Amino acid sequence: MRTARTCRRELLVAVLVACLGALAGGLAAPPAVTAGAAPGKMGMIMPGTIQDSDFNTLGYLALQQIQKQHGLAVSHSEQVAVADAERVAREYLGSGYSIIAFHGAQYLTMVQKLAPQFPSASFIIVSQGRGLPANVWNITRKFHEGFYPLGVLAARATKSDKIGYISGIRLPDFIASLNAAYEAVKQTNPKAQFVYAFTGDQNEPVKARQTAEAQIATGVDVIISSLNLGILGVVEAARGARTPVYVTSFYTDKSAMAPKVYLTSLVLDFGTPYAAIVDHILKGQRGGNYDMRPGSGMELATILNTSPEVVKQVQAVFQEVVRGKAVPEILDRIVVP
Amino acid sequence: METLLAVLADVQFWRLVLVMAAPLMLAALGELLMERSGILNVAIEGMMAVGAVLAFVVTFRSQSFLAGIGAAMLGAAVMAALLAWYAVTQRASQLTAGLALFILGLGLASLIYRVSIGIRLTPPRVPTLPPVAIPGLGELPLLGELLFRHTALVYAAVGLTLLASLGLFRTPLGLRVRATGENPRAVDVLGVSVAGIRYGAAVVGGLCIGAAGAYLPLAITGTFSEGMVGGRGWIALMLVIFGRWTPGPACLGGLLFATVEALEIRIGILTKVIPPQFLSMLPYLFAIVVLVRITQGAQAPRALGVPYHRESRT
Repeated sequence: MRTARTCRRELLVAVLVACLGALAGGLAAPPAVTAGAAPGKMGMIMPGTIQDSDFNTLGYLALQQIQKQHGLAVSHSEQVAVADAERVAREYLGSGYSIIAFHGAQYLTMVQKLAPQFPSASFIIVSQGRGLPANVWNITRKFHEGFYPLGVLAARATKSDKIGYISGIRLPDFIASLNAAYEAVKQTNPKAQFVYAFTGDQNEPVKARQTAEAQIATGVDVIISSLNLGILGVVEAARGARTPVYVTSFYTDKSAMAPKVYLTSLVLDFGTPYAAIVDHILKGQRGGNYDMRPGSGMELATILNTSPEVVKQVQAVFQEVVRGKAVPEILDRIVVP
Repeated sequence: METLLAVLADVQFWRLVLVMAAPLMLAALGELLMERSGILNVAIEGMMAVGAVLAFVVTFRSQSFLAGIGAAMLGAAVMAALLAWYAVTQRASQLTAGLALFILGLGLASLIYRVSIGIRLTPPRVPTLPPVAIPGLGELPLLGELLFRHTALVYAAVGLTLLASLGLFRTPLGLRVRATGENPRAVDVLGVSVAGIRYGAAVVGGLCIGAAGAYLPLAITGTFSEGMVGGRGWIALMLVIFGRWTPGPACLGGLLFATVEALEIRIGILTKVIPPQFLSMLPYLFAIVVLVRITQGAQAPRALGVPYHRESRT
């Protein structure tokens, strides 16, 4: 006679077999991106939250714009750590996504690894990468060109002749921007001192505030920032300072938050490059490079809290860079003493 | 070039140490109360995250600091009460329940922020708490700026440390709380409700932890960001052990940790010889070294993490 225990045992075995079967079926025939398949889906992998009102928000908005303009199905993954990026990308690829955008230079090694393994997919990355596979579009942010005028602005705006630079992670882009800002300060105001710090996190306002306050305590009165959400901590430090301290930011214009402490922002527009690249991909050009630089996806917001002569000089310098003034790009080492 | 001695002699440096130590002190006090009653709470980080987001969102919507801080304290207290329910009524593993609440708290904080604020190109912010000078004392040279011109939450952290010390070691209620953490059966025999004490300690502890969470957006950044608690909840857990479950030393530990953290940043500005990655590690390395040394001979409350069951024979 079959007992309840026997029935339960049989049911358990049946469930286990079913699970194993599903797993085997899944492993045996992973859906792959087939050559020549219509590129109908685009996924974007981002290092931070899309609520940062900064880098990641711009990426998200660019993705939404692509959905509207090109009719692609889109999806995004936020706060993807570098260690998880490959897994997330493979899940997209396995689900039939044929365009994968890595919205962050920290994912460069993932792209270099995955692109050759998935030749029929197209990849986009925002980085300083060189010699990338043929199915990768690279968006190069010429930050050094954008930060050069910010260095000129800081050099002219400082009253204490002490300028600070705060960034989060040591990506080549930010090292290049630090070096360019330092060069500009050295050329414009040779007696100004320049200090810098990397907080370790682009989006940590508490650490950023501590760092900014430490710099302000040493006499810094202008802070050039290449932080994302962390800029909010720098702004709070500037607002709380006993003497006037001014900050610059980038990606979006955040002067409305604290107009009395803002100098300007280096505003970036990712909508245009992403849309142009997707257009190229859909027409069959699956690899290439797109430069974001002053005048092409990079603009200077209104300059505040400084004299009209300084505003005029900085805008003139910016236009010189737009027209092609050479700004040294040093990515691999920090030249600031 | 500024020297390290000049940094240590700078009043601003020590003032900032106190500012950054305050949330650690508040969180450690809350945890200490819970642990003294016998409840192990490893969800501090999650509770602080919920406190931080509620403080920011409610302050942003209502333009009232009081409402924001109140909401933060209430949110964390609810989570603490939930932990107490698992620990006291369900007699479940406090470590497991705490870890689950920690993860829940982090996710809940992100969800609350996403639903309330949405996606904006200009980050929302609230004004930070203004410093309040204590009449008379705030004008003292050096000491005035160092100790008597801070935000209300800093004063609360210091005041609660004194109150907790007096309350735990000088009042009958404090004795009952400590006894519940050492020998709940003895407390039960005297007719005092062990569950009542533990629930009460959990809720009060949660209120303190919520205030610690509220401190981050309302006193430091003016905004909320995911991950802004930054491990401070775990540091608070360490501080309780560092202080040997006593309020004063636990809060001193908070000051010590904040000092090392502040030094890390200043040294990073003074010299580039030391790799910044090593400097970032310094506060936590310090915490481990001190903890290993200090905890030799330290005794946790005997009934910490142990569910109490009246009918149990052991």
